[in-house]
Amino acid sequence: MTNSIVALRAYRDGLHLIIRPHLSIADVEEAIQEEMSRMNQPLNGASVQIDLKGPTLKKEEMEYLKSKLQETYNLKIRSIEAFDEQAPPPIAAAPTTHALPQRTDPQHTRDSEPSRIIPHTIRSGQSEDYPQGSLIIYGDVNSGAEVRAGGDIVVLGALRGNAHAGISGRLSAVIISMDLVPVQLQIGDFISHRPINQKSRGYPEIARIGVEDVIIVEKFVKF
Amino acid sequence: MGKVIVVTSGKGGVGKTTCTANLGTALALLGKTVVVVDADVGLRNLDIVMGLESRIVYTSMDVIEKQCELGKALVKDRRVDGLMLLAASQKNNKDDIQPEQMKAICDKLKAAHDFVLIDSPAGIERGFSNASAGADEAVVVTTPDVSAIRDADRIIGLLQHGGIEPINLILNRFSPQLVGNGSMMDQEDVLDILNIDLIGIVPEDIGVITSTNRGIPLVYEDASPGSQAYMRIARRLTGQRIPIPDLEQKGFLSNIVNWFTRNR
Repeated sequence: MTNSIVALRAYRDGLHLIIRPHLSIADVEEAIQEEMSRMNQPLNGASVQIDLKGPTLKKEEMEYLKSKLQETYNLKIRSIEAFDEQAPPPIAAAPTTHALPQRTDPQHTRDSEPSRIIPHTIRSGQSEDYPQGSLIIYGDVNSGAEVRAGGDIVVLGALRGNAHAGISGRLSAVIISMDLVPVQLQIGDFISHRPINQKSRGYPEIARIGVEDVIIVEKFVKF
Repeated sequence: MGKVIVVTSGKGGVGKTTCTANLGTALALLGKTVVVVDADVGLRNLDIVMGLESRIVYTSMDVIEKQCELGKALVKDRRVDGLMLLAASQKNNKDDIQPEQMKAICDKLKAAHDFVLIDSPAGIERGFSNASAGADEAVVVTTPDVSAIRDADRIIGLLQHGGIEPINLILNRFSPQLVGNGSMMDQEDVLDILNIDLIGIVPEDIGVITSTNRGIPLVYEDASPGSQAYMRIARRLTGQRIPIPDLEQKGFLSNIVNWFTRNR
């Protein structure tokens, strides 16, 4: 199991050092060392933001940690932010499983959204745009083709091209395909591209934004 | 009344011209009257592959500019009855011809011949729209690699948009050995993506290179696997129902067994 107290993540605005609930400052120190040792190259001079998810550090503990990070790892502390999360019990906070809470944004609901059906395969060079709502495609989206929707994208065939759901920034949008082997996926302004030579898995999959602000793909069982 | 078939691919170098020359010759060998039309204005090649380059006097450009009658511009292939070539102008540019002018030529040709095969240039610009302007049907040529398939997919979309139907697929330069060891896409993968009817598979055949250089289409020799594949495709174009043989790589032993059973 990877270390669950400290995580180093790259987000759009730079590096974040996430510190989760812990028992003592010594545990945090050890966890930081462990996380840093997993890096292939030293993070000399990089600037990080410390995200405190749950724990409250005493002022002197924080100072100690800051000087430790600056001296030992040569990191610049950009800012420190505390997140008021429902703190799960320390350590037992296991890494996320596939049962991730879905993002919801109150001003958009799937019920109020129109949808459009494309009754054929979308070939290379062709594109479908539907900013008003969701797209349902009765066919494939081939390599070189592009589909963009304000809401969800459902492909009842293979998705081999580019798909962009939630183009107006709706981060709760999802992309579902019977065979998800895209060149590139986008939800809102998050982009993910497939590993090279990805083979189809033989079951339907769903892509959405997970809690860690990355696009995650998992087996689609039910909505 | 014959039919006009455009041979196209999107990507260059997949074998459009070779397919046009061989299918045209094969159809003529089957007793049909055929005109092969080079639509690659400015970069003509079909005349070389057919071995007729020294006999071209007029081109389709001369017909359009009314320098000569259409019948006079057709170069007759002396090796087989009923085969003619309409060459493209080498000194003009694709933009010098309008799609309607090509369509007028195609309409005249199909009134007097069984098959008009149009060798389309690569690309999706004017050259392609000229080549497909007068077409009733299309044959899309692709090789089993991802870039050729993506381009073929694009071309199929454009042909469907233009109302050309049916669109048949030739899978060219197919290598059973490479499919066998997993380094080439097999026909099912290709058909799964392109989703059109397969009219034939042409195996990789070294004879194509020599036949192109000599200007003698492969179908004149019946022994080569490529030539047999072209003959089968030509028969299918005339409406005969011929199954596509399984080109999957078989073991050495079963090849020997096949050889014995075939020669019995």
